[in-house]
Amino acid sequence: MPDIVLKFVKLGYQYLVNHVLALLLIPTALGVAVEILRSSPARWNSFQIDPLHLIFCSFLAVFIATVYFMSKPRSIYLVDYACYKPPVTYRVPFSTFMEHSRLILKDNPKSVDFQMRILERSGLGEETCLPPAIHYIPPTPTMDAARGEAETVIFSSIDSLMKKTGLKPKDIDILIVNCSLFSPTPSLSAMIINKYKLRSNIKSYNLSGMGCSAGLISIDLARDLLQIHPNSNALVISTEIITPNYYKGSERAMLLPNCLFRMGGAAILLSNKRRDRSRAKYKLVHVVRTHKGADDKAYKCVYEQEDPQGKVGINLSKDLMVIAGEALKSNITTIGPLVLPASEQLLFLFTLIGRKIFNPKWKPYIPDFKQAFEHFCIHAGGRAVIDELQKNLQLSAEHVEASRMTLHRFGNTSSSSLWYELGYIEAKGRMRKGDRVWQIAFGSGFKCNSAVWKCNRTIKTTSDGPWQDCIHRYPVHIPEIVKI
Amino acid sequence: MVSSPMSEGLIYDKKLSSVGPAYATDPDLVYEPRNLDLAMKLHFLRGIYYFERQAFEGLTILAIKEPMFDWLNKYPVTSGRFRRAESGRAYIKCNDCGVRFLEAKCDKTLEEWLEIRDASLEKLLVSNQIIGPELGFSPLIFIQLTKFKCGGTSLGLSWAHVLGDAFSAAEFLSMLGRLVAGQDLGPPFDLAQSLTKSVISHDPPKVAEDPIAVKRVEPVGDNWLTPTKFKVEPFYFDVTATHLAHLQSKVGPKFGPFEAISAIIWKCIAKIRGKEMESNVVTICKKSEEGNKVYGMLGNTQVVSVVKADFPIVDAEPSVLAKLMREEAFDMRDKIDEAMARENGVVDYVIYGANMTFVNLEDAKFYDFEYRGQKPVRVSYWVDGVGDEGAVLVLPGTNEGGGGRAVVAILPEEEIVRFEAELKRERLIA
Repeated sequence: MPDIVLKFVKLGYQYLVNHVLALLLIPTALGVAVEILRSSPARWNSFQIDPLHLIFCSFLAVFIATVYFMSKPRSIYLVDYACYKPPVTYRVPFSTFMEHSRLILKDNPKSVDFQMRILERSGLGEETCLPPAIHYIPPTPTMDAARGEAETVIFSSIDSLMKKTGLKPKDIDILIVNCSLFSPTPSLSAMIINKYKLRSNIKSYNLSGMGCSAGLISIDLARDLLQIHPNSNALVISTEIITPNYYKGSERAMLLPNCLFRMGGAAILLSNKRRDRSRAKYKLVHVVRTHKGADDKAYKCVYEQEDPQGKVGINLSKDLMVIAGEALKSNITTIGPLVLPASEQLLFLFTLIGRKIFNPKWKPYIPDFKQAFEHFCIHAGGRAVIDELQKNLQLSAEHVEASRMTLHRFGNTSSSSLWYELGYIEAKGRMRKGDRVWQIAFGSGFKCNSAVWKCNRTIKTTSDGPWQDCIHRYPVHIPEIVKI
Repeated sequence: MVSSPMSEGLIYDKKLSSVGPAYATDPDLVYEPRNLDLAMKLHFLRGIYYFERQAFEGLTILAIKEPMFDWLNKYPVTSGRFRRAESGRAYIKCNDCGVRFLEAKCDKTLEEWLEIRDASLEKLLVSNQIIGPELGFSPLIFIQLTKFKCGGTSLGLSWAHVLGDAFSAAEFLSMLGRLVAGQDLGPPFDLAQSLTKSVISHDPPKVAEDPIAVKRVEPVGDNWLTPTKFKVEPFYFDVTATHLAHLQSKVGPKFGPFEAISAIIWKCIAKIRGKEMESNVVTICKKSEEGNKVYGMLGNTQVVSVVKADFPIVDAEPSVLAKLMREEAFDMRDKIDEAMARENGVVDYVIYGANMTFVNLEDAKFYDFEYRGQKPVRVSYWVDGVGDEGAVLVLPGTNEGGGGRAVVAILPEEEIVRFEAELKRERLIA
C-alpha cells in the first residue's frame, strides 16, 4: 500500500513542478479575462490607446522577435546514416579465435588462457568480424591490407548512405572522418575525396587518436561548422581500422583489445538545410563533452605503449571502470540541467543542499534519466561498461538492450557502435516521433561525450541496414560465461 | 619428415588461415560418429586435384574462399572439433571452428611437376597433419591451394577418415564445385543435440576376439597416429588400357580391372614377403551398393570384407585369386560394429593395413569435382596411417586415360623397390 501511495505522490509532485508555468498562467489569464468581462463596455471605451504607443510597442515586439530568431542557433538535422555490414566471410567464431590464438601464442599458454577467459565473459557473439589480414596465422597486417580494410568499410558505408538519401558527391560541403588508430598519408578523408571526386572547396577534417568517443566529437565539430556555414550538409564517417592494430605480443593487459575490437563503420549525413527538415530522422539537441585528461590517472588509463618485447599495443589500466564512472558523473552534472525535467532537478538540488548543509550522510539523489529519454545508446565498449552504466543510471534491461545486442552481434566497433545501436532500436520499430535519444561514448583521454537527439519522424522498419537479416533473432539471452 | 634437397624451397610463400561455416551453428549441436566411423579414425585420406590455369585464373584468394563458407555451412560437422564424452567415446562438437586453409606457391609449372611424379614431393601439396595431440584443437579437414608458376593450381584435401570414406570425401568436394557453378546446396543438415551413444555401460566387459578385419593397436590416446613397425610409403603407378587388357587376358575375362590388378599384386607381394610372411588373408573395401548414409553423404559405409586363402599365394593362379576375391569375400562390417560397441567406441583399431588391404576406388567420383567448368587433369589419392601389412588403392584413370587405372600401393619402404621389379616382371608397368 505505501508503495502505491508513494508512487502517486511522486507522480503528483512531478506533474506539479513540470507544469508549474502552465499551472500559474492559466488561473491568472482566467482571472484577467473574468475581470475584463465583468467590467462594463463603457469602461472599455475609456481606455485611451495612443497610436504612438501602439507603433512603438509593435516595433519593439518585432525587434525582440528578430533578435531572438537571428541569435537562435541553426537547427542541425541528421538526415540519415548507414552502418557497415561485414560479409560472412570475415566471421570469427570463438573457437576459431581461440585455436588461432593457441597457435600464434604457443609459447605463452597463460596468455592464451587469459584470452579465453575474456572471450567467455565478453558478451560477444559468434558472428563478429575481423578483417582478412587478421585471419591469418600469424596475422599479416600490411599497410596495403589496412588501406584495403579502410576502403571496404568506408566506401561501402558511404555507398549505402548515398543510396538511402540520394546524396550526390558534389553536394557534400563538409567531410569529417574519425579513425583513431590508423592515420595514413594522405589521410582517410583525402582517400574519400579521391574516390568520390568531391569538390575542391570541400571543408575536410581527419580526426585521429581520439579514441572510441571520437564519433561524438565529429558530430560536435560538424555542428559547429554548420552554424557558420548556412545551407550546407556534412558527411561524418566514424570507424576504427583493426588491421594495423592487432597486438602481436603476450602481455595480458594489452591482449584485451584483440578480444573485443571488431570491424565496423558508419556514415552519417548532417544538414542545416531547410528542405531536409521534413525528411530528416533526428534533430540534434545537445552535445556535451567532458575531458578528464587533467587528471594523471585518467590520462594514463588507456595508453598505447610498447611491451617489454617492443611490441606496440594498448594498455588498459585496472582503474578503467572507476575512471569511467567519474567521467560519467562529470558529464551527467553538465547534461542533467539541460535535459532533466524541473521536478528531477529540484529533487537533485534539494538533496545536494541537504547533503552540504544538514547531513552529508544522505544518499546522493541519482536523477531519473528515464524521464528525460526514451532510448539510450551506451557505447558497447565491453560488458562491464554497459553493466556499470545500467547500474549507475538505474536503467532497465530493455533500455540497455540495444547496447548489449550490438556488442553481441558486432563486438566493440569503437566509435561507430553508437550507430549500430541506434539502428537496432529503429529495426525493432521502437523509434517514434518525439522520442529522445541519449548517446553516451567513452574514450581514451579519458573522455565521456554525450549527444542528445530528438526523433523527427516515426521511423518505419526497413529492409536495409546491418540488422536486416538477424533482427528477428534478437534479443538473445547472453549467458554470464559462454562455454567455448 | 626428411626433405630432400629437391624439395627445399620448392613450395614457398605459405600462408595459414581458417575457413568456416557462413552462419552460426547452434552451440549445442553434436555429431556422434558411429562404430564403423570410429574404427577408421587412425586413417587420413590425402587427395590432390590438379587443375590447369583456367580453373582458378583471375581469382583472388578471397574470391576462392568465399563460396567455401556456404559449402561448409551445409555440413557444420566438418568444421567441428572432437571432444570425449565421459565414457571416453569421441564425438564432434559443432563449434564452427572451421577447416584449415593453406596457401602456397610452387616454382615449377604444372607440366613439369606432373612429369616428376614423386610421391614424397606430392606430400608437399597437401597437409600431413593428423588429429592430435590435442583433440579439441585439431581440424578434421585441411585444404591446401598451391599455385604453380604457369597459373595451374593444385587443391590438396586432407580428410580425417572418421568423417567418411573416400566416396564421401569425393562427393563432398564435388559439392564445392557445384556451389561455385551457382547451384544452391540447400539448408544445413540437421543434427542431434544430445549424446545418445556415449552412455557408460555398466555391464561387465564381454571378452571376445577382435574380428580378422581389424588390428587392435596400443592405445594412442588423443594422438591419432597409427603405430607401425615399418615406415610405410605410397608408390604410384598407372596401368594403361593396354596393360590392363593384357592383365585381363591373364586373369580371365570374367573379372573386372580391380580384381585383375588386385590378384596380380597379391601374388607379387606374396613373392616379396616369402612363404612365412605371406598374407593369406586380405581385406577388400569397395563402395556400398546401398546409397544411404546417416548424415547426408558423409559416413563410412564402404563395404569392408575379408578373403581367406587356404593355399599358398605364391604358387596360385591369378584367376583363382580373383575368383576368391569376388566370390568368397565375407562382409565384416557387422562384426567390426559389434567389436567397437563392446568397447564403447574407445578402442583403437587399424583397418587399412591390418591385413593386406585392397581398396576399390574405381567408382569414386574424383573427376566429378569441376571448378568453373574445368575438370582436374589428374587426381592423386593415398592414405596415411596405414598398418604394416600395407594397402593398395585402385583409382579411376585420368580423364584422358581411356580405360586405364591409377594405382597407389602403400607399403613398407624397403619392399617398394622389389615390388616395382615384380610389377615390371608381370608386365603391369613398362
